[in-house]
Amino acid sequence: MSDGLVRLLDGNTFVVSEETGDIDASPAIPTGFFSFDTRFLSKWILSINGERVNALTVEEVEYFESRFFVVPTVLTPLVDISVSAIRERSIGESFNERLTVINHEPGPVDLRIRIDIESDFADLFEIKDVRNKKGRHYARIEDGCLRLGYRRETFHRETLVSSTEPAHIDERGLTYDVRLEPHGEWVTDIRVRPLGVNGRDLRENLQGSPGRARRQIRQDLDRWLAEAPRLTCDSPTLAMTYRRSLADLAALRFMPLTGGGHALPAAGLPWFMAIFGRDSIFTSLQALPFAPDLAVTTLRLLALLQGVVLDNFREEEPGKMPHELRYGETIGFEEQPHSPYFGSADSTPLYVILLDEYERWTGDAATVRMLERSARAALHWIDEYGDIMGDGYVWYRRRNEKNGLENQCWKDSWDSISFRDGRLAGLPRATCELQGYAYDAKIRGARLAREFWNDPAYADRLEREAAELKQRFNRDFWVEDGEYYALALDGDGRQVDALSSNIGHLLWSGIVEESRAAKIAEHLLGDRLFSGWGVRTLAEGQGRYNPIGYHVGTVWPFDNAFIAWGLRRYGFTHEAGRIAEGIIDAAEFFDGRLPEAFGGYDRTLTRYPVLYPTACSPQAWSTGTPLLLLRTMLGMEPRGDHLVTRPAVPTGMGRIELLNIPGRWGRAGALGRARPERR
Amino acid sequence: MSNPTANFFDALDRRGHEPLLEEAVGSIRFDLEHDHEVDHWLVVIRRGDVHVSREESEADCVFTGSRAVFDRIVTGRSHVYAAWVRNELRAEGDVRLGRFLQRVMPGPPGAHHPREFARREIRPA
Repeated sequence: MSDGLVRLLDGNTFVVSEETGDIDASPAIPTGFFSFDTRFLSKWILSINGERVNALTVEEVEYFESRFFVVPTVLTPLVDISVSAIRERSIGESFNERLTVINHEPGPVDLRIRIDIESDFADLFEIKDVRNKKGRHYARIEDGCLRLGYRRETFHRETLVSSTEPAHIDERGLTYDVRLEPHGEWVTDIRVRPLGVNGRDLRENLQGSPGRARRQIRQDLDRWLAEAPRLTCDSPTLAMTYRRSLADLAALRFMPLTGGGHALPAAGLPWFMAIFGRDSIFTSLQALPFAPDLAVTTLRLLALLQGVVLDNFREEEPGKMPHELRYGETIGFEEQPHSPYFGSADSTPLYVILLDEYERWTGDAATVRMLERSARAALHWIDEYGDIMGDGYVWYRRRNEKNGLENQCWKDSWDSISFRDGRLAGLPRATCELQGYAYDAKIRGARLAREFWNDPAYADRLEREAAELKQRFNRDFWVEDGEYYALALDGDGRQVDALSSNIGHLLWSGIVEESRAAKIAEHLLGDRLFSGWGVRTLAEGQGRYNPIGYHVGTVWPFDNAFIAWGLRRYGFTHEAGRIAEGIIDAAEFFDGRLPEAFGGYDRTLTRYPVLYPTACSPQAWSTGTPLLLLRTMLGMEPRGDHLVTRPAVPTGMGRIELLNIPGRWGRAGALGRARPERR
Repeated sequence: MSNPTANFFDALDRRGHEPLLEEAVGSIRFDLEHDHEVDHWLVVIRRGDVHVSREESEADCVFTGSRAVFDRIVTGRSHVYAAWVRNELRAEGDVRLGRFLQRVMPGPPGAHHPREFARREIRPA
């Protein structure tokens, strides 16, 4: 990793350490061993004869194991190293470290090997500022183990450290006094277990069964990779990016306690290893032709968490889909609302869209029938709780003004919704893509009602409402002097007239009038929005445009994948190809791992995509991006029980062949070849 | 003396069928401690058909806690998920069933319809 940190994980149990393997948490560098949103180790420092170790190399074997080669000396040329150590680390049901210390001298050496250990039991929401913990910390030495604990009323977490080699244990760590023979080595296995109430394994404590052993995780990863479609192509970058995406998507799979052993994509690794409505849905949509199981788990899990009552703190409403679910102390004591928190206005229509798209690919009618009630509740939410102004649009305005989100669309930073001149829009806000999603949800909901729920009257009603919404939207959002759709409407019904990437999602949704689609495509690929790599979140020349502003000028790969899909929907194959090619080209600079976002600088200016620094990598919907781009380039669509392809491969991409694509047809293949460039 | 927990289970049993529980099949037992005794409530759900009894038999999911805690939950003054995270309420077995039961818990008193927030310049608590 470029930030010098090494990450290892299994679901929401993970370690972030320095390249030496040491953990020394600080507000600026939040390292540690975490499980279920609590930090169980905030210090884990190896020293040999009082010297801290330096990193020689780190070998990241798999996402759940790595090896650190370290020496207890400052590395200088021509100075021989007399002692070195290997820390082999893995994450599974516990945090395991096999420490091997090797003597390179011809004579024996006496060593004092020490591991300093501490836990602050910080909640994930407080790691940037761990102060005033309300509970009590303690440390105990018992049965040859070090037990660190934290208790606040009934909330109880413990870290239990044990070692195969006997250690001198004190409340701050383990010490080994060992003698190594000439060229001898010494090995110990250290195990750190995260525990809940009454010293029980945390996962077992919360759900009644323990986590997975490393062997199970490996078998599962092998199976996952074997089942994925096989890609052969001329572009080495595309091949590398695809391989990387599959492996990263495997790591991003998260089995929540209520998942019944099934996985859905979490939002980002490691800090966002949790259920996020929007992120899980977008990623499941991207991955549908490759790993349809992710979608069904997402759908079932979200249905289980769907809102039932009104709750200001959690911004819950009946039928609303959750935004984020967490397990930490601040959630338990209701200091943070993620139990779950419902502050997103798009997850609910997107849920209906995913349900329909999932059935189109897989033919799994049973799931569509099973989720009928929840899908109807979601459709009802759009009109009853989304349309808070009573004018037929989906709006948002937070009710939790303490720690709720100001912007409840995918561009959820505070300054993302502005006018052309840079003024921020007043509340409430109705962003344009929300209307597109609502339209699409109604159209797709109508298909489900007619074909699976035996309710043609409801289907007619939804289609009528969708048509009215489309008409209304094309009247109220169309910015006449710019010939594009406004980013949003503000609380006074005014057009928030910035030119933004959001108009691309409108093509994906189908809410754009045919006659206006060409103009939208022109804007998307025009100089103001298109950087050469991809479409910027906000167009150059807008008041708040900043090429390294989070949602106001950077290029988001996931955003571009949906824009490319939308362009194909309206027949702009060449334009879709340009975006696909630009994003895949950019992936080369990130070794096939597309970041969440990169700078919006013009491609001809920097020649390489400028990395936007974010905490999470890989990010789920960036990981899913190459998959959706493949679907777009090959023009893959389910038609009845068949997979239809209409390849439109960009010229630089050569030949693309994808085999073993799962779906209602069993397994099928797709082949696309770029047309030779015309002279 | 008022007993919100007993009232809650009685009302749940009287519903007979609850559409919000149609995806659920299984049994949940609540072992609720008060005055050094433990009350047992067994909720059996079969595709939305709900039956509540006082049996102390095996269940797919068992919740343990104090009746005082459960009294607060069934009156909307405490949140069942938060209570579970802070270990006031402990679960064994199929926790998905617990999640289903959350659907029939009341929301917090004084919550607003988002429309009430849309236009007015009000400051919620």
